Amino acid sequence: MSPSGAVYARTRTRLLPRLNIAWPRRLEPYLYVLPAVIAIVFWIYRPLAQTFELSFYEWNLLPTAPKVWVGLQNYSRIFSLPDMGVALRNTFVYMLGLLPLSVLLPMAIAIVTDNIGKRARTIYRALVFLPMMMAPVVVAVIWRWILHPTNGIVNLVLEGLFSLEPVRFFSDGNLAIWAIIFITGWKLTGLSTLVFSAALTNISREYLEAASIDGASRWQIVRYILIPLLSPTILFMTMLSLLLASQWTFAYINVLTQGGPLGSTTNIYYLLWNYGFQSFAIGWSSAAAMLMFVGFGVLALVFLRLSSRLAFYDN
Amino acid sequence: MTSLAHRRPIGSHLILITLSLVAVFPIYWMFVTSLKPANEIYSAALLPMQPTLDNYAFAWSRIPMLRMLGNTFAMAGAQTLLQLITSVLAAYGFSRWQFPGSRLLFGLFALTWLVPFQATMIPNYVTLTQFGWRNTLMGLIIPNMGSAFAVLLLYQTFKSFPQELVDAGRIDGASSWGILWQVVLPNLRAAIASLGILLFISAWNEYFWPLLVTSRVEDSVIQIGLQMFLTQDSSLWGPLMAAASSASLPILVVYIILQRQVIESFVKSGLRS
Repeated sequence: MSPSGAVYARTRTRLLPRLNIAWPRRLEPYLYVLPAVIAIVFWIYRPLAQTFELSFYEWNLLPTAPKVWVGLQNYSRIFSLPDMGVALRNTFVYMLGLLPLSVLLPMAIAIVTDNIGKRARTIYRALVFLPMMMAPVVVAVIWRWILHPTNGIVNLVLEGLFSLEPVRFFSDGNLAIWAIIFITGWKLTGLSTLVFSAALTNISREYLEAASIDGASRWQIVRYILIPLLSPTILFMTMLSLLLASQWTFAYINVLTQGGPLGSTTNIYYLLWNYGFQSFAIGWSSAAAMLMFVGFGVLALVFLRLSSRLAFYDN
Repeated sequence: MTSLAHRRPIGSHLILITLSLVAVFPIYWMFVTSLKPANEIYSAALLPMQPTLDNYAFAWSRIPMLRMLGNTFAMAGAQTLLQLITSVLAAYGFSRWQFPGSRLLFGLFALTWLVPFQATMIPNYVTLTQFGWRNTLMGLIIPNMGSAFAVLLLYQTFKSFPQELVDAGRIDGASSWGILWQVVLPNLRAAIASLGILLFISAWNEYFWPLLVTSRVEDSVIQIGLQMFLTQDSSLWGPLMAAASSASLPILVVYIILQRQVIESFVKSGLRS
C-alpha cells in the first residue's frame, strides 16, 4: 500500500501477530468483511431465498413429509385464505393507528416543549425514555394487570370517578386492537419525542428569529418553517412506524390476545406465525411472507424517493 | 434565544410531567404490586402498607428464575460480543478500502432491515433443527452473530475517524490489523461501548427467536419464562409482577448507571425495537 512504508519501517514489538503476510494484499478487505457477510447471507438471505422456494410448495414442516409442488396456487389463493381478509385490514389499522402516537404526538410535544431548560430536559429525557428499555413481554404483563377488567387500577379509577362498568380492554372485540396500539405507542412515544427534539436542536435559530422579526405568528413559524425543516425526520419516523408497526405488535398480540377475540387483533405477521407453527401450512405462510416482503419493500422505496426529493431542506 | 423560547416554560413542564408520569407509572406500578402482600394486591394504594418479598420467593420457586436469568445473561453477553467482533471487522473493511464488490456487499447490510423476521423464520427453524441446536444456547446465539444494524452504525463512526492517524500508522509500517488494534479501536472505545450496551439491551429483550428455538422452560430465556408463568398462573398478580420485576431489574440497573450513553445511542440510531 505505501511503498515508503517499507523503507522507513522500524522494528517494533508487536502486540499482535502480523496477519497480512500469507495472502495477497488485495484479499485483505474481503477477510475483514467476511465473518459479518457470512452471518448475514447464511441467516437472512439464504432463508429468504428458501422461503421464496417454499412458497411454491405444499408442506407441513415434517422432515419426513414430502414437499408437493403446487406452482402459484399458494399465491392465487392467498386472499381467500382463512382470516386473511381480517388480518390485512387489521394490519392497516395497526399501521395507521400507531402514527398519532409514534409521529404526530411526539412531534407536537417536541415543538411545544422546545423552550425547556437544559437541566430539566435531561431529567425528562431519562424518564420519558424508560419504556423503551422494557421487554415486550414485561410490557404486556404490566398492561394486562393495569387494564384488568375488575382489579386493574385503570378500571378501579374509572369506577371510582365515573362509576363506569368495568371496561374489558382485551376481551372486547372493538377495544382490543386499540388497547394493543396504545401499548405499542406507550413504548415508542418517548423515544420518538427525543428523536424529534434532537432534530429540532439541529435547526438553525436564525431562521426562527428572522421569521419572528418579520412578524410571523407562532403557528406560521411552525407551519412554514419548522415542519418543512423537520420533514426528513417526519418521513423517516413515518416510514419506520408503518413498516414496523406489525412487527412491534406481534409480542403483545401473542401474549395478550392470541389474535382474539374472534380475530379482532390478528395481523398479517401473527397470521404467518399461525400458519407456520400452529397449522403447519408452510406454503401459505411462505407465500404470504413473500407478498409482505415485496409490499413493504415497495413502500420503503416510495419513502426513500420522497425523502431524497425533500433532502434539500437539510441544509 | 428564539421567539419560541421566549414563552415561559410552565406549560412545557406540565406537558412533560404528564408524559413522564404516563411513561413511568406502569413500571412503578409493577414494582409496587410486586411488593404488596396478598391482601393488599387489589387495593389502589400507591404504596404497600406492609411491603414484603413473599411474591419474589413464590415466583422464584415457581419457575427456574435463576437458571433463566443465567441463560439470558449468557445469551445476551455472547451475542453482543460476537456482533461487536463481526461488525468491527466489517465496518473497518468497508471504511478503509474500496474493493471490487464492496458496494454490493455493503448494500446487503443496508437491505436487511427490509427483510422481516417472518420471511426467514421457517427455513432458519429447519436449519436449526438439522444442526440439533433446538433448546441450546448455540441456537439462540449463532443465528444472531451478525448485526447489520451494528455494521451500518460503526461504518459511520469509522468513516469519521481521522485519516491522518491511520496514515501515520501505515508509515510506521503497521499492518492493517495492527492499525485496527493499536490506532483505531483505542480511540473509538466509547462509541463501541455504547453500541455494545445497545446490542445487549436488545438481546436481553429478545422474544421472537427464543420463542421458536426453546421449548423447555429450563433452557429458555427470561422473556419466555415470564410468558409461561403468565399462562400458568394468570391471576397471581403479585408473583407475576415479581417475576416481571426480576426480568427487568438487570436492564434497569444498566439504564440507571449509563442512561446518558443509552439514550444518545438509541436516538442517534433512530429507532430500534
